[in-house]
Amino acid sequence: MSAALALSRAIDSVTTFIGRSASWLILASVLVSAVNALVRAFLNTSSNSWLELQWYLFGAAFMLAAAHTLKQNEHIRIDIIYGMFSRRRQHWIDLLGHLFFLMPFVLLMVWYLFIYVNTAFQSGETSANAGGLLIWPGKLMLLLGFILLLFQGVSEIIKKIAVMRGIIPDPTPHVSTHQPIEEAKPVDGVTGAEHV
Amino acid sequence: MFEIIAQNMAPIMFVSLIIFLLAGYPVAFSLAANGLLFFFLAVELAPYANGEITLSWPFLYALPDRIWGVMSNETLLAIPFFTFMGLVLERSGMAEELLDTAGKLFGPVRGGVAYAVIFVGALLAATTGVVAASVIAMGLISLPIMLRYGYDRRVASGVIAASGTLAQIIPPSLVLIVMADQLGRSVGDMYKGAIIPGLILTAMYAGYIFIVTMLYPKAAPALPPEARSFGEGAPYGPVMRAVTFPLVLVLWGMILLFSPGLALEMLALLLPPVATAFNANFTAQGPVIFAFLGVLAILYFGYYLFLRAVPRALSQGLALVFALFTAYSIYRAGIDLASRFGELPTIGETGIWFLWELLVWIVHDWIWYLAIFATSMGALALRHAPSVPVAKAVAKIVNDLLPPLVLIFLVLGTIFQGIATPTEGGAMGAVGAILLALMKRQLSFDLTRQALESATRLSAFVLFILIGARVFSLTFYGVNGHVWVEHLLTSLPGGEIGFLVTVNIMVFLLAFFLDFFELAFIIVPLLAPAATALGIDLIWFGVLLGINMQTSFMHPPFGFALFYLRSVAARVPYLDKVTGDLTAPVTTGQIYWGAVPFVIIQVIMVGLAIMFPQMVMHYKGVPVAPPADGGLVIQAPAGGGLGLPPLGGGLQGLPGQTAPSGGVQPPATGLPGLTLQPLGLPSPAPQGGAAQPATPDLGQPPKLN
Repeated sequence: MSAALALSRAIDSVTTFIGRSASWLILASVLVSAVNALVRAFLNTSSNSWLELQWYLFGAAFMLAAAHTLKQNEHIRIDIIYGMFSRRRQHWIDLLGHLFFLMPFVLLMVWYLFIYVNTAFQSGETSANAGGLLIWPGKLMLLLGFILLLFQGVSEIIKKIAVMRGIIPDPTPHVSTHQPIEEAKPVDGVTGAEHV
Repeated sequence: MFEIIAQNMAPIMFVSLIIFLLAGYPVAFSLAANGLLFFFLAVELAPYANGEITLSWPFLYALPDRIWGVMSNETLLAIPFFTFMGLVLERSGMAEELLDTAGKLFGPVRGGVAYAVIFVGALLAATTGVVAASVIAMGLISLPIMLRYGYDRRVASGVIAASGTLAQIIPPSLVLIVMADQLGRSVGDMYKGAIIPGLILTAMYAGYIFIVTMLYPKAAPALPPEARSFGEGAPYGPVMRAVTFPLVLVLWGMILLFSPGLALEMLALLLPPVATAFNANFTAQGPVIFAFLGVLAILYFGYYLFLRAVPRALSQGLALVFALFTAYSIYRAGIDLASRFGELPTIGETGIWFLWELLVWIVHDWIWYLAIFATSMGALALRHAPSVPVAKAVAKIVNDLLPPLVLIFLVLGTIFQGIATPTEGGAMGAVGAILLALMKRQLSFDLTRQALESATRLSAFVLFILIGARVFSLTFYGVNGHVWVEHLLTSLPGGEIGFLVTVNIMVFLLAFFLDFFELAFIIVPLLAPAATALGIDLIWFGVLLGINMQTSFMHPPFGFALFYLRSVAARVPYLDKVTGDLTAPVTTGQIYWGAVPFVIIQVIMVGLAIMFPQMVMHYKGVPVAPPADGGLVIQAPAGGGLGLPPLGGGLQGLPGQTAPSGGVQPPATGLPGLTLQPLGLPSPAPQGGAAQPATPDLGQPPKLN
């Protein structure tokens, strides 16, 4: 078990590092997008590759951050019933969900995306827009995102089993998005941003 | 046995989706897992299905392309942009100063602080699309003030929570972006359609406060005199008189940015020499706008100088000039009224709309009334100039009010004038917010990092729900689920109205339990085909649902706005900072009950928007017929025939759609009113652009007979 937990920690640190770094791509995307608009307004010119770059950056950001989001238990749930369960039962739902919902989907996607990216790479496909970007780097982001999710899924399963056996404390106690507001905690700073 | 399952695959799949989702595993992966599970079942059972199932293994190869479609959807970029912008603004202190100033401006009126909250809520809503920011700021700043001066706790907390949710319906809201995306319509049209309902809703909130102050004056009192001052030597009255002229200049500037033609028309009326000089020197519109802004700035600074430091004799002279201009404006307004005397409406012609028509007749010359108001107040203020405290108070008001207005222009102005796509508008707003926070010295590395991480996290879970929905829809459409849902919904009794009422009641109830993201990605795509089949305009439909889903933020007991308010409102008795009195905390029950009237207002608003589609339909630029008395008959055009977007609303955007075709369009000149340019957005049109916005084949707007 301790070897598995070490693996889980290693995966967590990699996905955390990648996920947090990826968020800066959003800032880059903001700047690219704003400059695009200004250039078009004032210089009356526009470039498809810059227009595509903004969503390449965004795509990279959310794909690479998905595993980190999973680690933080921030993928949104409908917890109207889940929230009423005991923590033990919630653990079981999470574990079975990881095993039978998350992993098959992610495995399948890694397989198909691998073919998909490889095809785009071999053919040197570029975007259909005039002056558009090469497509495979964008598609590669999808693949990388799902590979990270695959690893994070493994890590989550290890942690969940360890938590259920009482080996480690619960890293992400369930915070309901639908709890009655009586239990709301005081807000300080940038919190609650997830629910706009 | 197999036949029964195979031929009822869609309902079985749908029910099992509900079970999957209710189990509480993250929505994104539950959707995907449900889609895949039933994909395998469907392929295995296809031989028994009588042709109901059109899936086979090679269809799985479509999945990567569907996910790529989610990623390459430029519209969705607006989600992180507006979230990031909202988070930076929340920390920039802009909301706090705005609340402080607005609270003083409205303070002396009964219910004044509540009006200020609504005003600020609407203003913040027009800068960004995030609820949390405004509720938290208002809960921290305005709630203690309202409690201090004896507001009813339910009224105080209700108005804060509700005003915060205005961000969900007043453009640029995330709800509308997602809705436009899911319905396969342009975000720009959705924004245009939502403006008037958003403003009416704001007015209804204010109307509710007005009724409260009439029925229960003690529930929302005016601020006492000692709380009205803008500081030593700057009592309320003189400051208000002095600030009128600058505020009218600000208003003029906003008109200029949103509708240059109208502003230039005003210039030609009010200051003919300047207009002549402009015409002689400029040919292009861009320089005119900059020169115009320069003129406004000069007027403001000149006025400010007189207010603050110029010797009394000179300012008296300027006061005289202002007074003369007032007299001239009165004269012009009188002439205009007299010239239109023949058009004076009579009760015989207009029936029950007489008062309305009379009002329209009177305010036709609003430019002159505005001039009378501004210059007369200016003259009065200058008579008592110079006064440093008054001038400082004026400058503070203008300084607090300008940043949100500039942001509104950066975001909405550029979108409506066709300078930027909604995505780019969001980016410019985000850059504007960063600059604002820099100027106020509130921006730190940590804040930026936190805001970016929050925006990224939000993007990740939202986009993954969408990816999951795309996997689900591959199967669901393959087993003809969309046909089943459409049939179910179109067979509702009552035709279009019956459909709208049923759907809205359903969404209203679901909104108790579901986030709007969940509603928008799972429910809306199922509703859209049925709506189209009934000939319902999807922009109208989207705005209706948007207003409705706004309630999901204020439904007791789960609404997020209430949640945020609870988190910042006092839980234990506390000593008031100003009076030193022990103040009772706000109970959760008070927060719940405070929200109820606003939820009811919301329901009324949905009803109004169903009854008067014109308030949304003007996005098409069709002339809006004045409402006539008589029964409301909505024609459902023989409709449809449209390629319907699969679940996940037309996200398989063709590569060719990424280039905004809007480009640079010089705004039309000389047109009064808010002239809205066609946006030419890269509209996420399903099936090769079959559903371009505002094409007539979508079913014409319901008409009033």
